[in-house]
Amino acid sequence: MPTDGSYGGLLDAVRGVHWPARRAVATAVAGSHHSKQRGTSAEFTEYRLYRQGDDPRRIDWRLLARSDRAYIRLATDRATLPTTIVLDTSPSMAFPMATREKWRRAQEIAVGLAGVAHAGGDPVGIALVGDDGEIRIVPPRTRRGVVGEIARVVDAADPDSGGDVATLVRATRTKRIAIITDLLGDEDLLIAAKVHVAGGGEIHVVHVVAKEELDPPRRTMLAADPEQPALQRLLMDSTRRDYDEAFARWRDDTARQWRSAGASYTEVVTDEPAAHAVRRIAEPPVYGAPRL
Amino acid sequence: MTWLIPTALTVAAVGAIATIALHFIARSRPIAEPLPTARFIPDRAIHARTRSLALTDVLLMLLRVAAVLLIGFAVAGPLFAGNGKVSRIVLADRSRAVASIDAIRDSVRAYLRPGGELIAFDSSASLARTTTMDSIIATKERGSLSAAISAAVRGGVRAAPNADSIELVIVSPLTREEIDAATLKIRAAWPGRIRLVHVAASEVAAKPTRVDVRSDANDGVAAGLSLLPALIAPVRVVRGRLTADDSAWARAGNVLVHWPAADADADWPHRASIDAIGGVTVGKATLVGRFPRLWALSGRAVARWADGEPAAVEQPAGAGCIRHVGILIDESSDLPLRESFRSFANEMLAPCGGSRAASPLDSATVAAIAGAGPLASSSRLRDTTTATSRLMPWLLLAAALALIAELSVRRSASRFA
Repeated sequence: MPTDGSYGGLLDAVRGVHWPARRAVATAVAGSHHSKQRGTSAEFTEYRLYRQGDDPRRIDWRLLARSDRAYIRLATDRATLPTTIVLDTSPSMAFPMATREKWRRAQEIAVGLAGVAHAGGDPVGIALVGDDGEIRIVPPRTRRGVVGEIARVVDAADPDSGGDVATLVRATRTKRIAIITDLLGDEDLLIAAKVHVAGGGEIHVVHVVAKEELDPPRRTMLAADPEQPALQRLLMDSTRRDYDEAFARWRDDTARQWRSAGASYTEVVTDEPAAHAVRRIAEPPVYGAPRL
Repeated sequence: MTWLIPTALTVAAVGAIATIALHFIARSRPIAEPLPTARFIPDRAIHARTRSLALTDVLLMLLRVAAVLLIGFAVAGPLFAGNGKVSRIVLADRSRAVASIDAIRDSVRAYLRPGGELIAFDSSASLARTTTMDSIIATKERGSLSAAISAAVRGGVRAAPNADSIELVIVSPLTREEIDAATLKIRAAWPGRIRLVHVAASEVAAKPTRVDVRSDANDGVAAGLSLLPALIAPVRVVRGRLTADDSAWARAGNVLVHWPAADADADWPHRASIDAIGGVTVGKATLVGRFPRLWALSGRAVARWADGEPAAVEQPAGAGCIRHVGILIDESSDLPLRESFRSFANEMLAPCGGSRAASPLDSATVAAIAGAGPLASSSRLRDTTTATSRLMPWLLLAAALALIAELSVRRSASRFA
């Protein structure tokens, strides 16, 4: 599948979107995110008393003259945030069967987030389970063609490959992980994400929901779980309300659990444009402002 | 149009109705469709009644009904016979009951149609050429309407595929000797009326004569035969060995009965095992006693032992016949003097071919043979075990196409559901 043409419009649409780190970054490589380290950049932060071993060139001589105390100027450093996109390739992503809209939206969001991260100077990579069932990881890089490489990997993947997303998260060593999944059948994923957050990492979970899952066809149908063919339930008028309520309750619970775990949770329905979804995922929340 | 197996139409109709009914009332397991969030649907028993007929369902129903009906038609086997064509089968009597074989030939010429069948019969029946009447030759055999009608039924089966109905014509003097106990039952196998064409019956010589017995003076059998009333044909009974003069006498058109008094009086082959048996029968006459069985006779059986083995046979000899009687009667027995012996001897001394009963059949029997109603329908004569319909393969092909279309529609319906 050609990638440049497929994602060109999307990457244009998300140009200028920033994806800031949710907290200060500990890495030393200079980038666009606030660093935990204090350095000598032009962006002043605070004064600190001179201690033995500090560079005397950082002493603020004017302040020494006024206060007769030796202070050194501290400035906030900027750092990069290596980012890995983890893409769920389980069979449930290939829905609806005819259009695979869910999988298509997940591909677009993965490439869009990669483009946003790369534009911010962050190393970006991807991890997924390939056609052959093997884990494929493109390590985070900042070189120019990495987004195209990610797009090719995404296009080559197939949602019937299966694979455990939690395993992918555990195998990822980068600080920021964006998980694009439908969260169906990934019970260990939340635990893996908590471990990553506890280790100082950052988790963004993108919950992809098909509009056909929110509003299944208005007729009697025997619904079968693609990941558990033996699980077959009858969806008809008498069970539809229970289904709607159970599905909504599960989505609410899931969002709450992920947010409680310190992750950023964003639900994306397949009828939402990918660029809009990427912007929602990347932009920091503005409290009190109307939600887009 | 007729059908080989009409009941298959009924079965097909029932099947079609059942198919339609099942489409409306079937509580079947719906086709599974993928839905990743199926786990959020309450777990209920998977039975659902089809609430509405989608277009694909109607199409499926029509295809299934068409397939069932086409298979039913194919099994029923439609047959298209000639439009109103009537085939005619003529039974020509050539037995001894016929006075003039030319009268038979003339009648056959009058009734035989092109494409019809001609069957000549006496004691047996055989298909005759229809181009010339020369194959109808008079014989001295007794006629048998049973054999003739049986052959006519077989001819009807042959003619049935090419005609709508079949007419059977019997050209015969219709004498009493030509029917037997099975005749009317066999007649019932012909499913239509029969046209009866009477011809003159042969006259039976009514010149009384006595039996000529050549035997020892003290022969008991000869004594018994002497008690018989006058016979209607000259008969010679030889109790010793046959001579050339005896054979010549038989070839002259007479009845020669060779009834040896002892084993040495005959050169017939012996049986593999010689035994004794308690009875012998001919027609309605039966002799009961203790009879040794010495010979294995061959020829047309005229008397049989109690176990069915021929006890006396008749062989043609020129214009007459020689009758070999392998029944040894004890010289000391009074059997020849009994009434049963006289009845038995009467049959043994009957004219060649058996007793003559040249009197015409009574009107009730003739009416029963003729029957009433329409001609025999070819559909009732058709052999459904071997007959085939030319339309059958095409109907089966159409049914197969309908089933393939049904499969295709079903798959596409499940794919786009």
